[in-house]
Amino acid sequence: MLVLDCPFCGPRNESEFAYGGPALAPRPADPSAVSDADWVDWLTVPPNPMGEVEERWWHLRGCGAWLTVRRHTVTHAVTEVRLGR
Amino acid sequence: MGGNGWRLAEGGRIDRSRPLRFRFDGRDHVGFHGDTLASALLANGVRLSARSFKYHRPRGIMGAGVEEPATLVHLAGELASGNRPATTLRLSDGLEAWPVNAWPSARLDIGAVNQMIARLIPAGFYYKTFKWPDWHLYEPAIRRAAGLAPAPATPPDGAWEARHAHADILIAGAGPAGLMAALVAGRAGARVILADEGIEAGGSLLTRRLSIAGAPALDWVTAAVAELAALPNVMHLQDAAVWACREHNLVMVEERAPSRPAILGRSWRVRAGRVITATGAIERLMVFEGNDQPGVMLASAAQAYVNRWAVRPGRRAVVFTNNDSAYAAAADLARAGVEVAAIVDSRDPVPEHARAASAGLPVLAGHVVRSTQGGRALRAVTVAPLAGGGARRIDCDLLAVSGGWSPAVHLYSQSRAPIAWDDRLAAFLPAGPAGPVAAAGAADGALELGVALADGAAKARAALADLGFAPPDAALPEAEDLPYGITPLWTVPGAGAKAFLDIQNDVTVADIELALREGYSSIEHVKRYTTGGMGLDQGKTGNVNIIGAVAERLGKTPGEVGVTTFRPPWTPVEFGAIAGRRSGPVVLPYRHTPLTDWHMDQGAVIYEAGARWRRPGYYPRLGEAFQDTVNREARTVREGVGIYDGAPLGKYEIKGRDAARFLDWIYTNVFSSLTVGNGRYGLMLTDDGLILDDGVSFRLAEDRFVMSTSTGNADAVGQHMEKLLQIERPDWQVMITNVTSQWANATICGPKARAVLQAMGTDIDMSPAAFPFMSVRDGRVAGLPARVARVSFTGELSFEVNVRPRDLPALWAAAMTAGAPFGITPIGSEANHVLRVEKGFLSLGHEVDGTADPHDLGMSWVMAAAKPDFIGKRSVDLRRASGRPRRELVGFRPLDPDRQVPEGAPLTPGGRTEATEGFVTACVWSVVEGRWLGLALLQDGRARIGTRAHVRLPGGVIEVELCPPVFHDPKGERLRS
Amino acid sequence: MTGYDVAIESLPMQAVIDLKGEAAALAGWCGDVLPQFPARPNSLTRASGRALLHIGPGHWLLCADLADEDSLIAALRPDAAPPQVSVVPVSDSLAHFAVTGPDAAEVMAVATPLDLHPTVFAEDAASFTEAFGLRALVRRHPGGFALSVDRSFAPMILQALSLSAG
Repeated sequence: MLVLDCPFCGPRNESEFAYGGPALAPRPADPSAVSDADWVDWLTVPPNPMGEVEERWWHLRGCGAWLTVRRHTVTHAVTEVRLGR
Repeated sequence: MGGNGWRLAEGGRIDRSRPLRFRFDGRDHVGFHGDTLASALLANGVRLSARSFKYHRPRGIMGAGVEEPATLVHLAGELASGNRPATTLRLSDGLEAWPVNAWPSARLDIGAVNQMIARLIPAGFYYKTFKWPDWHLYEPAIRRAAGLAPAPATPPDGAWEARHAHADILIAGAGPAGLMAALVAGRAGARVILADEGIEAGGSLLTRRLSIAGAPALDWVTAAVAELAALPNVMHLQDAAVWACREHNLVMVEERAPSRPAILGRSWRVRAGRVITATGAIERLMVFEGNDQPGVMLASAAQAYVNRWAVRPGRRAVVFTNNDSAYAAAADLARAGVEVAAIVDSRDPVPEHARAASAGLPVLAGHVVRSTQGGRALRAVTVAPLAGGGARRIDCDLLAVSGGWSPAVHLYSQSRAPIAWDDRLAAFLPAGPAGPVAAAGAADGALELGVALADGAAKARAALADLGFAPPDAALPEAEDLPYGITPLWTVPGAGAKAFLDIQNDVTVADIELALREGYSSIEHVKRYTTGGMGLDQGKTGNVNIIGAVAERLGKTPGEVGVTTFRPPWTPVEFGAIAGRRSGPVVLPYRHTPLTDWHMDQGAVIYEAGARWRRPGYYPRLGEAFQDTVNREARTVREGVGIYDGAPLGKYEIKGRDAARFLDWIYTNVFSSLTVGNGRYGLMLTDDGLILDDGVSFRLAEDRFVMSTSTGNADAVGQHMEKLLQIERPDWQVMITNVTSQWANATICGPKARAVLQAMGTDIDMSPAAFPFMSVRDGRVAGLPARVARVSFTGELSFEVNVRPRDLPALWAAAMTAGAPFGITPIGSEANHVLRVEKGFLSLGHEVDGTADPHDLGMSWVMAAAKPDFIGKRSVDLRRASGRPRRELVGFRPLDPDRQVPEGAPLTPGGRTEATEGFVTACVWSVVEGRWLGLALLQDGRARIGTRAHVRLPGGVIEVELCPPVFHDPKGERLRS
Repeated sequence: MTGYDVAIESLPMQAVIDLKGEAAALAGWCGDVLPQFPARPNSLTRASGRALLHIGPGHWLLCADLADEDSLIAALRPDAAPPQVSVVPVSDSLAHFAVTGPDAAEVMAVATPLDLHPTVFAEDAASFTEAFGLRALVRRHPGGFALSVDRSFAPMILQALSLSAG
């Protein structure tokens, strides 16, 4: 159980949140202008290092905000939580 | 019991005025209040108290606390539970305990025959022998033979509790360092939780004869406990094991005897700002042939029995050590009247301070115990110089061994803080930088009392400073202790097949050597191959010896060999305590509609149908069979009128300047062209091109829509929409409010639905021209404010009458009354399923299974070709461009009309044993056709309509004829009527 | 077999209006119907029997006695609100429970991981959190706490609270 320091609510238990997947780059403004390979890459190939990742969490049982969280995959150290992207 | 000489006449922390009767291994005994089962057994002269896990060797009591590797018991009666170390069981009147691995008793154990074949079942024996043809053939018999205690047959009488707690500083362990840390932190005003697994506070001070500030150390403990009790910001739990230290300082505590009597046990999930692990140190065994015999005991345990429980664990003792601490133990044994025949020390020379601590006791420096004699009880040991040479026999009934001390770094290491080998202490020590978890006292390598107290205070002060508290002036009490020194001796020369490294799992030096010979040189592999350290005790007394033995044989240092990962739990935990109150009826959440009680009163069969709603499946009449009920309800809707509780349907209000634009983006089709008062069916994809949900959205105003979602996916749709808005389109002005529980609908459906609504009384013009299909009207129905939507998921004329949930029972009652002349009948989800399959309407979880796209389902018409982009479009296009065959939705009729096909059944080419080409998504008894029929996803299915396909089942093949996936009113005239 | 010294009580339905948008826009539309906007996240203000809870970014709940519901809706005119303001009556969506008595905090500790210590959860605190696995609103209540959940979960929460009380 992590603790995520929600910018609106303060530190809260992981059970208040839903994991929302890796933090993808912004969705292409015109997907039809993107090559097939780039589209697949954007959609399905998030980085998975032993180290820091950015991921989305939804504070669904709290304030309802979508958050971007920077978390270390080995230590779980959370170095940043911000509202939105 | 009296008079056998094992119990001392005075001293100890027992109450001789409170005798307790108990039963062990079928015999009656008496102990005292304050005893553990182990101390009471020793006081009754019981030496053989267990049989070992694998070889069924006779074993006794070897430890005095959680480290006990040998005597596990299971309790009978009210306290029924398995695999409890006898050393941690508080004695109670009437306690009945049995050794776990002996039948019919530890004294006469049938399984002991395994000892004779011991050399045939070495490490890895099971892996090598029972792998062919299938481990599962052998597993049940092996589990019985080599098992531990059985699980209790019935649940215990009572409840557990799991609760949350918060602390600035959590301190694990109420020994000298933990108490000192708690005093410093408590005095500073921090919120402190102090949890200790012992029955009483004091830790090692309970078992040793030390003084603090010139008085017995336990006086200091008493005063500290009293001071902590008076601090309102300190919570002090005893008999409460801290068993996990997890990410972000989540600390798990199991409190075994809460003061609240109705609770069997309590699990605390503590979130702490800082954690101090003052968990002490664990003594190691010495490793030589026969080191597992009853009568061999840790020196610290022997010391604990004489000091804390006033029990002599033997009459004539030999002490075998490689370090200084055993000299104090020897002195305490002698003081209690145990004859100490010799202190056998593998070191030479022995430090003067050690000899001084046991003045007068004979010391054999540079000697080792080579082996033990005796079967069920120790009779003598064979002692020889370490360097080799003449062996001699010393008679004794107690061998107190000390292989040195391992700081209990388990919790510290669980937190992912690093540990490192320390040559001076011959132990792994905390080695991390200052962080949120700190070790203190013996757990930090501060094995001498004065240093431990100072370390506890220092770690508390550091934690306070981190948290912004002003640390109080620390008055550190004076304390004296024997200095600690060790020269490790991992295995005595000659140690082999009867020299046990892991007592509980029967892992010997010979097993380790076999593993190394076979190439398992990583310590993690050695552990898994030999099972060393994998018992209930998690190798507390043996793991470091295994590492030392491996290092010795590989010519490495223990630090180079490294440790296996420390994982929770530190000690075994009751499952019930983890679950707490979330068991039985509330193990999972459940939801009721405003009508759930009504449905139950009607005798409806209720079950969960998506998103945890308890809904009526069908309403059987007296004596009516399941299928007859479903047929009756479905027929009612086709021919007359039915009423369905639609309260769980997901509903969102979507408001804002960009609301229409947003719907255009998240649905495959266009919503911005919708006029106010009208609705449209929409299909929602995710960006991977798969279907997330479907539903109807109505436009209430230019900037305001109400969207309905499927019941099961309501939350997922909310998450999807909020994520897109907050992450991808924060500049769009759209506000979403979940109104699922603000609008509840009764769906009135069937050819007579309009007549029923008119009979109920409404100010809405119900004529088909004024209120066409796919429109919405606000007004009053039966006098209640209502929003009526003309949608249909049954294929018949249908009105969803939405009211506030508080009004739904009244609306329902009005419909039942006004509808009675029309034969209105409540219908459940079973009939609803039949009706939608007859119409070929898709259902999430049936036809929409996470692989199908809209084209597969024959819904290309809903994919707005003119829109340059919508969520999911790019991936659908990409997948379609590949040209690979797809599974497409078809209808089917079994050639035998009375043959039901199980939903989910696979279709294979010609019914042969080949890879599937699809599966049955739904199969129902159709009331319009009077036969079984269904839907399937089948490879290239649409092109195969008119041909036959084959459902392959274990019992045979069912042949079906493929048809378009709609069986009733294909033109949709009835639902528009 | 003693349980906690606590009373679990089902509270009557309240008038609840969900308000979304920028504070200034809401203030402009709602006028003096609302109490003053709370200064801190997850806190509430009260005025003339109404409470305004700041429960999320750009998100407030207006709570009052159910008897006040019609007048609130008449004053706030949800159907006429401008595009930048969302006003949705949601009174039926929440079921409210009071957990009161000397051991109220003990039962709340079973229910929720939220830290309800007075130094952390102030007198005017109001926050959504998780309770028994559900989204739940926690406020202080005379003699203890009030817990509000989606009304469909009311029977389950009442059962869970009662079991927890022992």
